[in-house]
Amino acid sequence: MSKIWENYQTDITYDELMLSGFQPRPSSYILCQYLNSLTQESIEKRKVAAELAILEMGISFTVYSDEGNIDRAWPFDIIPRIIEAKEWHHIEKGLKQRLKALNCFIADVYDQQLFIKEGKIPGDIINSSKNFRPQCVGIKPRHNAWANICGSDLVRDEHGTMFVLEDNLRVPSGVSYMLENRVITKRIFPELLENISILPIDDYPAQLHEMLSSIAPEQCTSPQIVVLTPGIYNSAYFEHAYLAKQMGAELVEGSDLVVEEDEYVYMRTIDGLKKVDVIYRRIDDEFLDPEVFNKKSTLGVSGLMRAWKAGNVALSNAPGAGVADDKVVYAYVPEMIRFYLNEEPILPNVPTYLCSEPEQLEYVLEHLEELVVKPANESGGYGMIIGPHATAKEIKEFKVLIQKDPRNYIAQPTLSISTSPTLCKDVLEPRHVDLRPFILQGEETFVTAGGLTRVAMVKGSLIVNSSQGGGSKDTWIIDMEEVKETQ
Amino acid sequence: MLSRSAERIYWLARYLERTENTARLISVHMNLLMDLPKGVEMGWPHLIRINSCEKLFFEHYKVANERNVTNFLLVDERNPISLYSSLVYARENMRTTRELLPDESWEQVNEMYLYVKNHLDSVNNRRGRIVFLDEIMQGCQRFTGLLSGYMSHNAPYRFIRLGRNIERADMTSRILELACLLLSESRSNEMRHYESILWRNILQTLNALLMYRQHVRSRVKGDDVLNYLLRDTALPRSIACCISDIATAINLLPNNDILPKKVIELQTYVQTIDTDKATQFQLRKILDDLQSRLGDLHNDITENWFLVQEQTQSQTAEAG
Repeated sequence: MSKIWENYQTDITYDELMLSGFQPRPSSYILCQYLNSLTQESIEKRKVAAELAILEMGISFTVYSDEGNIDRAWPFDIIPRIIEAKEWHHIEKGLKQRLKALNCFIADVYDQQLFIKEGKIPGDIINSSKNFRPQCVGIKPRHNAWANICGSDLVRDEHGTMFVLEDNLRVPSGVSYMLENRVITKRIFPELLENISILPIDDYPAQLHEMLSSIAPEQCTSPQIVVLTPGIYNSAYFEHAYLAKQMGAELVEGSDLVVEEDEYVYMRTIDGLKKVDVIYRRIDDEFLDPEVFNKKSTLGVSGLMRAWKAGNVALSNAPGAGVADDKVVYAYVPEMIRFYLNEEPILPNVPTYLCSEPEQLEYVLEHLEELVVKPANESGGYGMIIGPHATAKEIKEFKVLIQKDPRNYIAQPTLSISTSPTLCKDVLEPRHVDLRPFILQGEETFVTAGGLTRVAMVKGSLIVNSSQGGGSKDTWIIDMEEVKETQ
Repeated sequence: MLSRSAERIYWLARYLERTENTARLISVHMNLLMDLPKGVEMGWPHLIRINSCEKLFFEHYKVANERNVTNFLLVDERNPISLYSSLVYARENMRTTRELLPDESWEQVNEMYLYVKNHLDSVNNRRGRIVFLDEIMQGCQRFTGLLSGYMSHNAPYRFIRLGRNIERADMTSRILELACLLLSESRSNEMRHYESILWRNILQTLNALLMYRQHVRSRVKGDDVLNYLLRDTALPRSIACCISDIATAINLLPNNDILPKKVIELQTYVQTIDTDKATQFQLRKILDDLQSRLGDLHNDITENWFLVQEQTQSQTAEAG
């Protein structure tokens, strides 16, 4: 074993690359062998090369701070994370199944509400959901697909089971970084990639384009697609520009669009006004249309909802799709799969306690020290508490918060989530990781081969969000059958 | 193409051309210093003057010496037209129009930006400054070459041509103005003695010495150089050539309205400039006039393609 593994200890968690006792998993054997063949110096060189490439390619994300917004270089760890293709195909099936059920549910919520009527979910949960939009009742997007782009977060527990931690159905980010991570890996490990067959991921923009075309108003033969961004100060602006570029779509801001009297959407071009058919919007519902939602918003377009309701433009994700993004609704996804698809869920949920249910609330309040409690509608890791890491005072304060608004909280056992070797200074250390694959649903359903692996760079930390100092890794889906054949 | 993107991309090209030409301007001045005998006085204040930024300069510096002037024009963030500021604006405009341009061109500008950011101190001595300026001139040329070879010659490319050539024509006229200033001062009798060195350096700065020799086929003379750099239609940095490129780009763009007529007027004006009998004073007036006509052309372009947005907005506001 090379020196870089010197302090590697996986203790009780599941490690993505290593079995206990420094034995690489079969899928990571070639990678580990290769890493061992490198000198400390050449590993360091590759790390520097990766950092330089990120800087020169301008791969960045924006962080909000008191001194204004800072464009930061994307944090990337050069050691990839590996999943066997056989396992991945199972997960892929589970993700498709899940998004299908979620879309059935959203469609039902804005239509007959059978799920509620049959007593599968209390109606109150929908009515009190921050992301339920009564304005959307009665609308039928093409293919019944409301959430066209979904980024589900997966975590693995100490036994190796993959759980869905949450489904992001509003404007999930990260796919551009997943693609750029691979570009960098190709630059810094070309020799390694020669010997391993990794499923390609770079068809995502083409799949996205296809999906967006498939939801265009029916009379469109060659739809004009645009990506609607809140602008350069948004944390994901890099991604908005990246996806527009990869699809050959226009990147527009609200002020570039106008809804005319004919209730069609147009963009202001050097040729005059030009009709827009599909909008991949990266603006939250509340800011989409000042006529209907936030009156003060200058990010959106006045009249956009009228044009959408008239069927003159497709919006992706459809407004109102966020109703299924609610973490309380998440708890009901396995039931949705049984109800709408008449199937058993392929991927398990993390066991979830709903504070809105009196018995479960009682359990949560008694066991707060062991649980993770999250607000139902936040993202980015804000407003949550991790029981085992919290002080007695924090727990006491959180109890009050929960009791005040039980509907807004869910609790889950603190998982010992899996780790993956990560280059820290000059040695490899285990760091916790999660995984965000991206699932598309229009006329067809599509899942990326792998996804964005996020890694908590701080030792022992479970927080992987890049806005809170998390990093990322390239994710390899490796076909072991192929590896055996070539050996 | 969105009006907003057209404007950003036009300014991107202007900022980058300004970056390159600021490097050229400082470069010609330094070369002259090294070519001319010690006794000849060459003032650094001229560089501030032809860039019309005397006021701002003296707000921050006491004396217009070599160190202060080069610092102010090259790396001072407080000067909005310094090389560094221009490059920062160019990069920011590019960051917000990345979806329209080849990846390599973004990387080229980004690399140049990182280089400048890491070498701000190197401009304080001549040796470091020469390397710095060369790097910039080459970097800008690489950018131009990348676009010419990688990018469709479509609407975005035409707006780049517009921005680049308006800025280039303006900067060429300022470089000529520098020559006039150096020659016009009464104390520059001695400078006049070395006039051909001055003009040769001007040509060199615009990478035009070889082309001049092939074209004019005589020794370097002031009037010939002026005529060549003003009226030649084949040399990329001559003013007539810039305007002719602007004319081509405008004709290929949609909704160009009255612009072709205005550009033809400007072309005719340049061809009728007569430098033979002009005094140094008259010459400076001619160049000033030319700069203000280029400014008018810029305003016309802005009004014609970029303001679509605001007009429509105010119209809807009125309707509402």
